Amino acid sequence: MLPGGAGTRRLLRTIGDGRFIVVFLAAIGMSCVAYWRPAEALPSYARQTGQQCAACHNGFPELTPYGRLFKLNGYTFSGGTTDMPAIAGMAIPTFTHTSAGQPGGAAANFGPNDNFAFTGSLFYGGKILDHLGAFVQGTYDEVPRSFHWDNTDIRYANTAALVEQELVYGVSLNNNPTVNDVWNSTPAWGYPYVASELTPAPIAHTLIEGGLAQQVLGLNPYIYWNRLVYAEIGGYRTLGPSTLDALGVLPGGTSAIDGVAPSWRLALEPAWGNNTWEVGTFGMAASLVAQRMTGGGTDHLTDVGVDTQYQFLGARDSFSVQARYIVENQNLSASQALGISANGHNHLRTFNLKGTYFYNQTVGFTVGYFNLQGTGDPLVYGAAAAGNKPNTDGYTLELDFIPFNYGGPSWWPWLNMKLGLQYVHYNKFNGASVNYDGAGRNASANDTLFAFTWFAF
Amino acid sequence: MRAQTRMTGRLRRRGTQIASASVVVLLSLVAAPCGAQAPKAGGARPAAAPPAAAPPAARPVDVSGTIHMCSSCHGPDGRSVSSTFPRLAGQQKDYIEAQLKAFRDKTRADPHAKTYMWGMAARLSDPLIAGIADYYSSQKPVAGTPGGSPEAAAGAKIYTEGIAAESVPACKACHGDHAEGNSVIPRLAGQHRAYIEAQLEAFASNARANEVMHDNSKGLTAEEIRDVAAFVQTQ
Repeated sequence: MLPGGAGTRRLLRTIGDGRFIVVFLAAIGMSCVAYWRPAEALPSYARQTGQQCAACHNGFPELTPYGRLFKLNGYTFSGGTTDMPAIAGMAIPTFTHTSAGQPGGAAANFGPNDNFAFTGSLFYGGKILDHLGAFVQGTYDEVPRSFHWDNTDIRYANTAALVEQELVYGVSLNNNPTVNDVWNSTPAWGYPYVASELTPAPIAHTLIEGGLAQQVLGLNPYIYWNRLVYAEIGGYRTLGPSTLDALGVLPGGTSAIDGVAPSWRLALEPAWGNNTWEVGTFGMAASLVAQRMTGGGTDHLTDVGVDTQYQFLGARDSFSVQARYIVENQNLSASQALGISANGHNHLRTFNLKGTYFYNQTVGFTVGYFNLQGTGDPLVYGAAAAGNKPNTDGYTLELDFIPFNYGGPSWWPWLNMKLGLQYVHYNKFNGASVNYDGAGRNASANDTLFAFTWFAF
Repeated sequence: MRAQTRMTGRLRRRGTQIASASVVVLLSLVAAPCGAQAPKAGGARPAAAPPAAAPPAARPVDVSGTIHMCSSCHGPDGRSVSSTFPRLAGQQKDYIEAQLKAFRDKTRADPHAKTYMWGMAARLSDPLIAGIADYYSSQKPVAGTPGGSPEAAAGAKIYTEGIAAESVPACKACHGDHAEGNSVIPRLAGQHRAYIEAQLEAFASNARANEVMHDNSKGLTAEEIRDVAAFVQTQ
């Protein structure tokens, strides 16, 4: 199912030019270092707990039941014997090939096709006080060539008893709706865990699927009772343009929440044997100042999501499935008044499903399906989408190799690494399979082969 | 640790109040961090990470914070759900102590010991280990699952008689008539079948170093391991 013959030949030539091989050989070389010792992801969490990555992660970053409890208890579990600061790093060199190149370049400073790019992050990850801990990420991204604050979740948590059962309660201060969630079926930590920035992106996504990421601050009190019931409510506010600018986030083109946008999350997770099964709902409602253009009032967007996750974690084999369906109702009275939306009311519906098998927490294979449907709107989607509709549909295949989930090399035991090869195929892109942009480009032209090495250290 | 005990009590009362409301009280939890942090200004230490030095011997060790962490995998009161993690409820006190010290000293090195328990036990003091062992050994054991399967019947025969031809002694000689264990010999009754199987395989391969159990398990076939594990789970 690789992209068309010509594209494949170009890819093979690129592989042959050496740079691709250098990235992968370096990574494989590290995986062969003499002997393995405990490693972790985030490595600073592993130093704090003394545990291996596989304790918290089923092929990182997906969380195991124990990883979920570590997060819900405020990242405060300890045990490890090092006193190194709770700082960790991440580096992801990537290679992107699209079936057909993008004339003019995949992004500023990048060629039309076969691009290498780099993303690097620094984290503060760990316990601050007895019941206070944090996940704070700052990222340098070579594609926009900028450093910006990234996902952040600072939380207080404690325990009590309720009806003779354990009650974990706490509050999360975070900057991205669902980044505080512990199931990988919700958007912020949902699949794909890493994706190319140098491939055409579908024109639409719902607000809760990254539309507010890093532009807001939210406070989410939560309870988790009897390892069965999770409930959370919260509210998000948009940060001011100068604050965002200082944090490296460009506010241009984004919409600002008017006041506070409430959010919710409710989930049930029964467990039996080596299985856990979560079923839940999440969402938010936001009054938005469209593209920060005042004078037209506000739009009102409501996202209602349902999600489920099943995990089987065996001694050798592990298997997980995540799915979510989100309906977004958009009341666009302000956008309509401002002339940036033709309709007064639109909707979006997105569906994501993926299944992953991991052998011995080392070699994994993932199949994913994604679908987006929405109302046609010539001003919102314009000429870039066939029939002015954002409809997109396709699937993802991914092969991963995580050599250090049970231990890093002797010279840096806190190294973890994921070698990944991801293929994305579009059945439909921005409204059509064929000639979606009116300039003759087909959906399959955006089919992407994406290779990455994800270091955490 | 003492300060934390007081705080836990205070917050437990706060937690009980949560039963009476939902949204409003959820919101009130936002205030909890501020109120709860106040007493910690005095420098309270977490029970989960005790100082390396042993606390004063005369004072009973507060294990509640540690037990909470243990319960993440071993379940409330040591009644774990996943077979990756052994049930500890009613386990022999001396056995738990010996294992925690073996994790701390890294002398028990089967794969899951490395993944989870080396880190968990690295900073446990002897008194805390004794307190944890005391807690779990005094919990009510999980009842055995109903037997009757052919595997369990075959396992019962191995358990009570051994396999003379393969020089496998009767398990019950050490583990007891009802697999209840004794001192450093672990209780096996009601344990996850898959956990027992994994341990027997680890003894046989020396992934979990134990001379006696290596000798006892090296002659067992995969089928015999399955049978014995099926039997002890029913006890």
